[in-house]
Amino acid sequence: MKSWLIKYFSVVRMTWIQTLEYKANALVGTFAIFSGLFIEFLIWKQVFQAQNINEIRGFTFNGLMVYIFLCMIVGQLKSSWATSMEMIDSIRTGELNKYLIRPISFFTYHFMMFIGHNSLFYIVYTIVIILFPILIPGWCFHTKIQIVGFIISLGISIYLSYTIYFCMVCFAFWFGEVRSLVIAYNIANSILSGQIIPLRLFPEGAREIIFLTPIQYLVDFPVSIATGNLPIEFWIPKMAMALLWCCIITITGRILYGYGIRAYGGFGA
Amino acid sequence: MVMVYEHMEVLVRRALFLWVSFFQNSLTRDMEFKANFLGGLFVDLVYYSVYFFLFNVIYSYVDTLGVFSRQDIMIFLVVCYLADTCDMFFFSGNIFSLNQLMVKGELDFFLLKPVDSQFITSLRKVRAYALANFIILLALLIRQIYFYPNNIALINISLFILSFIMGILLWYSVDFIIASTCFWFKNFSVSGWLSHEILKFSSRPDSIYTGFMRKILFSLMPMTLIASVPTRFLLYGPDWDLFLWQLFITIIFLFSSRVVWHRGLLRYESASS
Repeated sequence: MKSWLIKYFSVVRMTWIQTLEYKANALVGTFAIFSGLFIEFLIWKQVFQAQNINEIRGFTFNGLMVYIFLCMIVGQLKSSWATSMEMIDSIRTGELNKYLIRPISFFTYHFMMFIGHNSLFYIVYTIVIILFPILIPGWCFHTKIQIVGFIISLGISIYLSYTIYFCMVCFAFWFGEVRSLVIAYNIANSILSGQIIPLRLFPEGAREIIFLTPIQYLVDFPVSIATGNLPIEFWIPKMAMALLWCCIITITGRILYGYGIRAYGGFGA
Repeated sequence: MVMVYEHMEVLVRRALFLWVSFFQNSLTRDMEFKANFLGGLFVDLVYYSVYFFLFNVIYSYVDTLGVFSRQDIMIFLVVCYLADTCDMFFFSGNIFSLNQLMVKGELDFFLLKPVDSQFITSLRKVRAYALANFIILLALLIRQIYFYPNNIALINISLFILSFIMGILLWYSVDFIIASTCFWFKNFSVSGWLSHEILKFSSRPDSIYTGFMRKILFSLMPMTLIASVPTRFLLYGPDWDLFLWQLFITIIFLFSSRVVWHRGLLRYESASS
């Protein structure tokens, strides 16, 4: 266990050093969040003003903005599509061989790389999230337990998201080019996970379908905990369900990888 | 004067001939990788569907966003998609890889060719699958116009086409200027992401932008001139002041892209840069 930790911590540290060289990523990422929030602010301001209402499905205007702001941060933290592209390339070009002849797991190695690459985002957004309730109090993290719940659910969300991407990556063993699938999922996910508009504002039918999938645990769940939109008695059952999804998708990924590796030719496509 | 005209004609003819060759090469390559071709179509289909869905959710809570009613916004979205498709078809595959070309020193190959360097770096790769999207979207736009409750005059359509072309050129200029900053940053791998975030402002109707922000988005960062203004000409008729303004801004931005590119090239140090 100790050697496992040392091995993979080295991967995180290595990618962390690389990431520090490209600080522009964090700057553009922060710009993406604030520009996205600004656009949503303008749209919803018009909606609230035009209809002359104070609340939409339980969201006040300020509450909605806080919710969307946190959704954008969580959405960016959990998205591992760039790592997925690297994984697809390594399957296509035969670079996967180096993972097969070394005592290292393709799944865990890239997960640690993903954590390392995102580390700069974690620092920047943690500062933003800490400053947020201090500067604008009363809109999120009302209690300490909400902070703990948010961190745990965010961890689950990041892992769950990675395992979903991993399953899609495994299709590269058979189809070679699955980047389109990952990009399409990424686009659809940005809307359907509630990253731009809260799931609560979706039509009933669409919401029912989304609640049958693990998508609700990617963004909506951690943010609902942070903003107090989800009563505390639902946290444990929801977390258990999210963990169950993690297990199901991890096992699915392992099965796909196991079959895929048999189909893998080991040479550049 | 005649000499200049003849010279221009030769240049344009040569550029067209070259672009047709680029297109043929790209089409041949795309046809060899049919999965990519179908994948591109699939991604765009998902992109269009989720944004239609997004605006449907917004319009379930409001009747109009400024002057844009639900029907107007559907036309606006199709215009946005058409602009995106045209950018994909002509430019996006090239501009996206500009940073890599600069970092690896592969830009040398294009600079040595007896053709304008901005032309070849901007247009050599054509994403042929976008043509299929373009046809589908154009059919959708014609259908939307046909069923639009108000009469859309021929002058609206003519002005829309011109304004739409200017919008595409603006999109290209902004994208190209951002990508060209890699000469100053040495390695600006996230320029594509930054462009995408800035261009996101063009995919929302201009009526949501007010005050100082509206002025900025009509001038310094002219995102509203890409899809919103052409849609306005199509649906609400001519506004000559706005049309001339769009023409002026397009010329300024095209000229700026040229200046930034040539200034950037002076800083290029080949593979070691």
